[in-house]
Amino acid sequence: MPSKFIAAGLALAALAAPASARPVSYAGGWTVMQDNNGMYSSLHLHYSPTATDSIGLYTENNWDMDTVFTGLQYNRLVKRWNAPKSQGNLYLKLGAGAADPYDGGGQRAAGLAGLAADWETRRVFVSYDVRARDYGTDQSVSHAARFGLAPYVAGYGDLHTWAMLQVEHHPEADNPVQVTPLLRLFTGPVLVEAGYTLEEDRFLLNWIYRF
Amino acid sequence: MNLFKTLALAAALTMTAAGPALAAPETPATASKAKGEFVTAYVNGLVCDFCAQSIQKVFKKEAAVKGVHVDLDSGEVHISMNPGQTMDDAAIEKLIRKSGYSLTSIEREAAE
Repeated sequence: MPSKFIAAGLALAALAAPASARPVSYAGGWTVMQDNNGMYSSLHLHYSPTATDSIGLYTENNWDMDTVFTGLQYNRLVKRWNAPKSQGNLYLKLGAGAADPYDGGGQRAAGLAGLAADWETRRVFVSYDVRARDYGTDQSVSHAARFGLAPYVAGYGDLHTWAMLQVEHHPEADNPVQVTPLLRLFTGPVLVEAGYTLEEDRFLLNWIYRF
Repeated sequence: MNLFKTLALAAALTMTAAGPALAAPETPATASKAKGEFVTAYVNGLVCDFCAQSIQKVFKKEAAVKGVHVDLDSGEVHISMNPGQTMDDAAIEKLIRKSGYSLTSIEREAAE
């Protein structure tokens, strides 16, 4: 039965992406976003010179790959679909920098690439995100899909609440498919997410601040 | 566990620091008190607070603009101009696009 739910989640994701699916701001805007999920903890500070591009520092301490990555990440809003009651986005993310393995083997050239898509109304959110990492000694490809519902519609500046379900696929992990129910709270320039990954018995805490 | 305590504290501090910014949304009443021209822009793609914040930040940089209010329910952006100042449709459309959204139409109320 759980596999049916997973299949449904992946199918929804195929139509349309995750918390960090806001990698580009308005022209002149800054954003800081941090993800913590037990596999890695990341920090991305970026500036958007236009409404379709952003560039900034990305650093990730990846316990799963036993590596710390530090570099520059460029994000491109490839396409946005603005409709009267919805918005869809397709993003490209490219990062280049250095990976510093825990074993002290020395820094290596490293990079990452990702595609993210999302579609949302004020009630429904669906997203899909794929990310490939090459950290010198280790490579990985991971997928994440989300489906979210807002129990009520809030105005600008009010507290927005979303109940979401995230399904991830990490081919190399002991549990390749991981499901994380999470709560997203969003008001003004601040977005916070808290969740719990069932298969791995670990917590998720993400936040974004835009200024 | 300590890591999560630190992160939770960081998130709490971030939210506290954001306090003044959260007070930023203007009410239509505030926006319409201006005696300059009042413009309503109908915009596609406004679904969240980041969208509204983008519009406000971009328009508030303009010297002609006295106040901006975003209504997510109706997809309307209400712009109060400073007395004696205006912006043409092309300039408003450019700012909406710079914010990341799409303009569909504009209505104007003349200055009092």
